[in-house]
Amino acid sequence: MSSRKKILLKVIILGDSGVGKTSLMNQYVNKKFSASYKATIGADFLTKEVLVDDRLVTMQLWDTAGQERFQSLGVAFYRGADCCVLVYDVNNAKSFDTLDSWRDEFLIQASPMDPESFPFVVLGNKVDVGEERRVISSNRAQAFCHAKDDMPYFETSAKEAVNVEEAFQVIARNALAQEESKDFNPDFPETIPINVSGNESNGCSC
Amino acid sequence: MPPKLKTSVDHAPDSPPSPTASYYDMSDDSESEYSTIKHAKVDSGVKLLHAKSKVYVHPSASAKDNVAGHIALIQQKASSPRRESIPSSSTANRATNSSNLLLAWSPENGLSSETKEKYSKVEGSASDSPPKQTYLVPPPPVTTQHSANLGSFAFAVPISEIFSILSRPPSSGWWHGSLVVNTRAGESFPALFFHDSECESTQQHRKRLQRENFDISGQGGGMFWGGDQILTWLKQYVTVERSTHEPNIYLIDPTDSDKLSFGSGGKPTQENVRNVLEGKNKDEQTPQQKQRDQKEDPLGKALTQARWTLLEKFSQVTSFTRRTAESVANNKNIPPQVRRLMQNPQVQTVSDEFDSARLYLARWAMGIAEQSERERNRRIWTAKDMLKKEEGELGDFEILEMDAQGLSLADKRKPVTLKEWDSWFNARTGKLERTIDEAKERIFHGGLDGQDGVRKEAWLFLLGVYEWDSTKDERRAKLNSLRDEYIRLKGAWWERMVDEQGTLEEREWWKEQKMRIEKDVHRTDRHIPIFAGEDIPHPDPDSPFAEAGTNVHLEQMKDMLLTYNEHNRDLGYVQGMSDLLAPIYAIQQDDAVAFWAFAGFMERMERNFLRDQSGMRLQLLTLDHLVQLLDPRLYEHLEKLDSTNFFFFFRMLLVWFKREFEFSDILRLWEGLWSDYLSANFHLFIAMAILEKHREVILEHLKGFDEVLKYVNELSGTIDLPSTLIRAEGLFRKFQKTVEAVDKRNNFMAAPSVRQRNTSAPQENAGTSPDASVPSSPQAQIRAAVIGGPGKSPAAAAARRQDGGASTSGREQTVSDQLAAGMEQEKDKVVSSELRDLLSREIPKLHKSDVQAHGGGVGPSQPGS
Repeated sequence: MSSRKKILLKVIILGDSGVGKTSLMNQYVNKKFSASYKATIGADFLTKEVLVDDRLVTMQLWDTAGQERFQSLGVAFYRGADCCVLVYDVNNAKSFDTLDSWRDEFLIQASPMDPESFPFVVLGNKVDVGEERRVISSNRAQAFCHAKDDMPYFETSAKEAVNVEEAFQVIARNALAQEESKDFNPDFPETIPINVSGNESNGCSC
Repeated sequence: MPPKLKTSVDHAPDSPPSPTASYYDMSDDSESEYSTIKHAKVDSGVKLLHAKSKVYVHPSASAKDNVAGHIALIQQKASSPRRESIPSSSTANRATNSSNLLLAWSPENGLSSETKEKYSKVEGSASDSPPKQTYLVPPPPVTTQHSANLGSFAFAVPISEIFSILSRPPSSGWWHGSLVVNTRAGESFPALFFHDSECESTQQHRKRLQRENFDISGQGGGMFWGGDQILTWLKQYVTVERSTHEPNIYLIDPTDSDKLSFGSGGKPTQENVRNVLEGKNKDEQTPQQKQRDQKEDPLGKALTQARWTLLEKFSQVTSFTRRTAESVANNKNIPPQVRRLMQNPQVQTVSDEFDSARLYLARWAMGIAEQSERERNRRIWTAKDMLKKEEGELGDFEILEMDAQGLSLADKRKPVTLKEWDSWFNARTGKLERTIDEAKERIFHGGLDGQDGVRKEAWLFLLGVYEWDSTKDERRAKLNSLRDEYIRLKGAWWERMVDEQGTLEEREWWKEQKMRIEKDVHRTDRHIPIFAGEDIPHPDPDSPFAEAGTNVHLEQMKDMLLTYNEHNRDLGYVQGMSDLLAPIYAIQQDDAVAFWAFAGFMERMERNFLRDQSGMRLQLLTLDHLVQLLDPRLYEHLEKLDSTNFFFFFRMLLVWFKREFEFSDILRLWEGLWSDYLSANFHLFIAMAILEKHREVILEHLKGFDEVLKYVNELSGTIDLPSTLIRAEGLFRKFQKTVEAVDKRNNFMAAPSVRQRNTSAPQENAGTSPDASVPSSPQAQIRAAVIGGPGKSPAAAAARRQDGGASTSGREQTVSDQLAAGMEQEKDKVVSSELRDLLSREIPKLHKSDVQAHGGGVGPSQPGS
């Protein structure tokens, strides 16, 4: 392990304002929920070290402002992303409808090498609110994700820490896979030195 | 006169122990003198060996809180058993001695007049040795640890409990030298400041030194000061060894292992070896280095060195762990300030959050600076420590200038009270009887009183609700019509909601905007009492906040923002606006008045919220140019980090530092910015001042865009406003001078035009609005700056303002334009049009057409509105 280059995974969290991006991130990293997060202005990130299949990686989770007009400044931090998390509020139809445009906007601005295979994960947040308020059903969300290259889908509650850990495990794994796929790309020579034997031993331990 | 009491000699020191005699700076002569003294009965008091007056505790940054007192070395009866814990070369005798000795401080006002007299007798004995006569004083309370109290109470520490003394001689940064006592238990007593100029005995001693040696240097070669004398006292009884790692730390009776770790003796440690290898051995300073070190702020220097030591350690640590933090926190070699800082829970939280040791260290290093800044009573000097002389692009002249201004402005920086404010206006007509500039200057430098309600009135002038030259009656009439207009606008969107008017697109937009406002108001400044409550049921059962409830002020906020959405439909509500409204509403607490004050504020802030972000880009670009001009070295570094988009200042500029400062600081900051006294874009100098403060950390520790962003984001809540305002003003002056210098050079090259302009200055009233001739839209200004010659530029306008009225008009510059035309390009290379705009005091407002084109709202307001 020690001989291997330390891996940084860059994850961008997108979605309409007020769907709970900051809350999800804080629940995952700090195990805390606060009802009084202020609206995010600009961008910020948190980092967390996690084990993915026995490998220690550092996740850098980027939180951004939700109002779409602030996204034009996103280029600065979308670059080099390894995974994009799309968040909507299951009690807010509009936030679900905009997922598509968030996805497109991200692909345009981040311009990943291979847009088709770039990993997205969808989170339907605020499932704690209650069925009577819910407007987007599980089936509908799953159908949507299935249609878009089978994006992984989780229903979460940042408030009650439902499914948050599980979702971010998948996010980390997909991000790591994406990061490693970059190593085969000559455009990113600085990430090439990966200890192959390390990978093999890794495979064994799985 | 105290009676001479004769007792048996029960604990006087024996003749000096020869093996350790070299530790004494004292001559054998004075020792033997001492040993002949007849001692007092200890139970009637303790024996005062040495005393010094005018030694202060500074419990706060304010000089008025300083507590004057005496420091004294006191001998008490040997009651405790001999210390066994000192296996060092100290003899048993001396060990006993040291536990009988107390280093004490007592406040002046706590001493009886009789005791005071004894203190001054002992102090006046004019020698480093104790007086031959015995003076008994009431025993001070003996402590080994300092309670959280701010230190206005007497304390006395057994010398045997003192681990080390941090000595900070007076320097250019510190008027008063100070000593900090660190105990073996790891406690630090409050710093004792030696006000040498007030202290008779120190003055006497200095004179004596001068007479005897033609030299007034003290312990380390610097000027003799009160603290030196304390160390001299101590050296008579215990081993005092200067730490080689921290030359400002004196170890008291160090154990062998202490010496090994910190002192001069012992085997070379790994670290010593590394230091030698890297040429960093502090033992082998050249005389020049020593001299320089003496001049530097000793605390700053100690911290720099401590930081280096730590950096070396951390370079071997890939992941920063709590254990490392703790061992650092408990390391007595570290100055007490740093240890205190490390024990600070916030710092520990931070260390948990970051896994990057480097980023952590960057914050830590800056935290030290903040901490030492807080411990100073003179803010003005701190900039000097932050901008290392040899590296600071701003140079000494800058700091000196800031100093001079800061000092002379002490009066101007008193807040404007309601009484002072009222005195500016004619009692009958209510018309301002000062110039607008005078009023603005006072508000810019002093701010408005936070308690007496003056803000409520004054803000309406600053935000353009009232004209500065209006009468009382005019203002009343204006307010009445504005109230009517507010009700009309509020009714308009209300109807719209109820009747579902407009196209589908419009209706969708309104629904969305309402939702956005709802969400944002419920998360804006909820820690402020008026916005905190949830005491009324939510009027809309479908709202996501229906269960939580709301309060009347939150509902007012929503109404005002929706009304703004109606008032400015080209732009509409955008995230961040609720942050801008909250302070205004909190001050006014009247929805109609607050709304129009907010609308006035929004006229200049509109450009921050455009859909295409062009206004934000322009400001970030201007900041980019400003850093390029004023701090090229920092700029170069930011370029390497791919950070010259200055995106990390986005939040600060968007909502004018609302997320960086406490609510009360925001009120003070904004009213200063609203005054437009120096520049209508003064907020960019605030940003620059914040950046400059942290330039060393950025240069030394930050290695990527993400680190810069994180570091700057985390500054929130840590920025000191008063010193930032002073620094920003200094930066503005520096900027102004630089632009003038460039213009002068260009004019010099085009000599004829200069002469012509000087001789033909026509009259133009530069009084209240000197820049009125400058076109108002940013685009137009840029054109003007590019096309216009130097005389027409706002720079010249600013110069005009400084000269006090005499001015030039636009006509002559056409001539100089022609003459200078050849150099136009070169000039623009140096001072961009964006930068020139910074000299303008004209509020940058957008044209309606610009907002229509880039606002991202639902188009023009309804006809007739």
